[in-house]
Amino acid sequence: MIEFLASHTPGPHHWLVLSMILFSIGLYGVLSRSNAVGVLMSVEIMLNSAAMNFVIFNKYISPAAVDGQIMAIFAIAVAAAEAVVGMAIFVAIYRRRWSIDVSTMDLMKD
Amino acid sequence: MLWQAAYTVLFYLFAVAAISFAIGVTVSRRLLRAAVYLMSLLLTGAAIYVMLGAFFLAGVQVLVYVGGIVVVIIFAVMLTNSAQLGLATSPGYRKVMAFAAAAGMAIISCLALWTSKFNLSAATVPSDNIKAIGLKLLDRGAGGYVLPFEIISILLLAAVIGAIVIARRTTAPGQPFTTRGDEPAELANSTLKTQLCIEQEEQKV
Amino acid sequence: MEHSGLIMKFAWLIPAIPLMSFILVGLVLRPLSKRIAGLTATAAIFVCAALAYLLAWEYFSSCAHEYAAIVPVTFEWLRYQAGLSVQMGVLVDPISVLLMVVVTTVSALVHLYSIGYMHEDYGRFFTYLNLFTFSMLGLVAAVNIVQMYVFWELVGVSSFLLIGFYYKKHSAVAASNKAFIVTRFSDLGFLTGILILGYYGFKFFVDTSAGQTGPFDFAYLNSAAFTTKIASMPSGIFDFSILTLSMVLVFIGAAGKSAMFPLHIWLPDAMEGPTPVSALIHAATMVVAGVYLVARLFPAFAASGSALMMVAYVGAFTSLFAAIIGITQDDIKRVLAFSTLSQIGYMMLALGVATPAHPLGYTASMFHLFTHAFFKALLFLAAGAVIHAVSTNNIWEMGGLRKKMPVTHITFLIAALAIAGIYPFAGFFSKDEILASALGNGHTLIFAVALTVAALTAVYMFRIYFVAFTGKARTHHALHAHEAPKIMLIPLIVLAILSAIAGFVPMGNFVRIGPNVHNGINHTIAIAASAAAVLGIAAAWFFYAGQTARAAGAAKTFGVIYLAAKQKFYIDELYMFITKSILFRFVASPIAWFDRHIVDGGVNLSGFLTRMTGQKLRFAQTGQVQTYGFWFAGGLLLVMLVIWAAIGVKS
Repeated sequence: MIEFLASHTPGPHHWLVLSMILFSIGLYGVLSRSNAVGVLMSVEIMLNSAAMNFVIFNKYISPAAVDGQIMAIFAIAVAAAEAVVGMAIFVAIYRRRWSIDVSTMDLMKD
Repeated sequence: MLWQAAYTVLFYLFAVAAISFAIGVTVSRRLLRAAVYLMSLLLTGAAIYVMLGAFFLAGVQVLVYVGGIVVVIIFAVMLTNSAQLGLATSPGYRKVMAFAAAAGMAIISCLALWTSKFNLSAATVPSDNIKAIGLKLLDRGAGGYVLPFEIISILLLAAVIGAIVIARRTTAPGQPFTTRGDEPAELANSTLKTQLCIEQEEQKV
Repeated sequence: MEHSGLIMKFAWLIPAIPLMSFILVGLVLRPLSKRIAGLTATAAIFVCAALAYLLAWEYFSSCAHEYAAIVPVTFEWLRYQAGLSVQMGVLVDPISVLLMVVVTTVSALVHLYSIGYMHEDYGRFFTYLNLFTFSMLGLVAAVNIVQMYVFWELVGVSSFLLIGFYYKKHSAVAASNKAFIVTRFSDLGFLTGILILGYYGFKFFVDTSAGQTGPFDFAYLNSAAFTTKIASMPSGIFDFSILTLSMVLVFIGAAGKSAMFPLHIWLPDAMEGPTPVSALIHAATMVVAGVYLVARLFPAFAASGSALMMVAYVGAFTSLFAAIIGITQDDIKRVLAFSTLSQIGYMMLALGVATPAHPLGYTASMFHLFTHAFFKALLFLAAGAVIHAVSTNNIWEMGGLRKKMPVTHITFLIAALAIAGIYPFAGFFSKDEILASALGNGHTLIFAVALTVAALTAVYMFRIYFVAFTGKARTHHALHAHEAPKIMLIPLIVLAILSAIAGFVPMGNFVRIGPNVHNGINHTIAIAASAAAVLGIAAAWFFYAGQTARAAGAAKTFGVIYLAAKQKFYIDELYMFITKSILFRFVASPIAWFDRHIVDGGVNLSGFLTRMTGQKLRFAQTGQVQTYGFWFAGGLLLVMLVIWAAIGVKS
């Protein structure tokens, strides 16, 4: 049992597939959530999985360098900025329309 | 040997946890719960970073994501009254479309990844890479990241200022800052009704 | 150049002053004050007339024997390539100077008269009159056939605007449309002729040594070198040569503008315009533009004998035809219109019988144009004064105006005597020369026709005179008629003087082509013509002075012929039949159907398809971010598949 487990340590493919599944779930959330904050959370999942990809490749392709991790740090910083701005926009929209349902935001259609 | 077996077990454990939390984030009907699921997912992510040898990154993840972003999101939920209003669900066809897109994405990219071969390196991750990250971030030479680092700091400043400008109330000076003060009466009623409905539903459940 | 006198240098001002006045009056003064607008326009034309007299004096006194054509001013207007350019400029030669004098004189007097005559829309009227004067002077001074065509169309437009001046009156609008369409139709012939001449002119254009600047110049088109070349080329139509063909086409344009049969139908209707306009445009100046054009191209017409013959016979026929109709009409202005037709036919026939060897007809035609302008303008202005007084055009509602309007009566009588050809009034001299030129070149038939027309002219003129001015007043209005205001009488008196003495101008000294062959009165012909005129007056007196029973009896005797003449020989009806029943039904309607259903259908179908597609595609634009996101993700997946497939195939 232990030998079996020890000989099946996850390789890059396993990690990447995990990250990909998280990304797809995030995509599902972005496309299906009706509340804008929910959409924002799903976007965070996608961003997180993308940052994870950097780290995975950093570990398996060039472990001695730290560029992948730095990229992930940048991704986190950008995600923070995005979350702050997103929150501000939602609050502004909410004040105007008393709703942040994305399916009712279709003013551009007309 | 034992260590490696534990590594494998932990991988699958965290993978299942992460996927479950992610699904929770996307399908949970109540947004506050979704936020909590998101927080858990991000913590799991920090654990995954640890497993991948990125200790500093795991710390950043916990500090910035869990401590910052999730708090911001919870604020957003509160300020937009989404704890109650967020219950409105999307129509079924939209969920089907979203599922089709997500499933297609997952299948195609997983197949593509699984069939790809990577130029793997046998070396292990050095344990003191925190120092390397610090040096690299402030390195002005070739391969250094000092310029993006500064730009990111400006971006964050701009985001903060922008958030204040966007969300600031444009009322006459001297009036008290309220979020829900000028909410129309009928909407307040409907909000109340929604709340009642939720409570009734919960009682049923 | 030795002919570079002071006025010659400023000859361009003669057309330019009316243009400036037109712009000034039309844009600035018209809304300000009607009085100032009228006075400015009139003053401008008077200045213009003074310049024209000075120019004539300087031109005819500077060169003793041969009056060469001088081009004092030109500028390049269009340039296609080397050797093919069109100039605009001022041409000074005997006939253009003659026409400038006539046009400016009549125009100035008509302007003056209009100040008293017009009541409404003063500024607009004078704006149009100035435009017309400018266009006519530009036409007269044209250095080449293209410039002439441009101004030819401009006078057509001015005529259109002035005929339809009372645009609230349905008949005036219809008449202006008719005039414009008929002359446009004939101008198509003119344009085709210009194109043919231009094509061959450019083909054979050799050098610019003779002061010619382009193949369109009259000097070049009239040169023997050019005309003999194209006279020998067959055109393939009726075995005409190219020269004959192009001249016939040009003559179609001239016939349309000068209202020759069968394109005359617009002129009687054009009398719907204000009377001063009829006097200026449809009697004295614009309608003689066709005569002027033929005279301008006379050497080319003469080189093609058959084209010139056509001019002669068309002129003679129109002359007789219009005179017969003129006897039967009751509307005073219509009688004068048919009289105009008849007299222009006279000028045309005079040109037609002239030959380079015996060019008396050329001089005679220009002479008649000169005298006719005065007495016909006078007739119209006098008729205008009468209409002004009795508020009707029908001569049978007038009568006894001799006592009521003495000045108008005298001037009208002078004009009638002049047009009838009684010595010593102007018409006598010019008619005599025309008759002499017809007989002198052996055209006996045309001579006979011309003599008959002379008698008929006297009949219809004195019919008006006896019916309108003598006898008893037939209506209330005629009984209480008043003399016209002084400002209208001054032009009448001036024109009456001119009509009386213009015949004594020794025209043969000034306007001629080739040698001065005849300059005096042929006594035999003079006696015959005078006898015909006296006979005509006597007939008019017999039938119309006092009792009208004789006239009715004569009308009954002629029966069908009288009726046909009264209905203008049903030419209008014939045109209506051809256009409405044949052209509209069998040509225009099918084309219209095709256009409406096939062409428009195709266009509408494409529009309909576009709209339908848009309407269907509209639903794709939901405005829902998540729907767009779905399509975005789908596209991304496709791109990923393609890339994956491509890489997979490679490795």
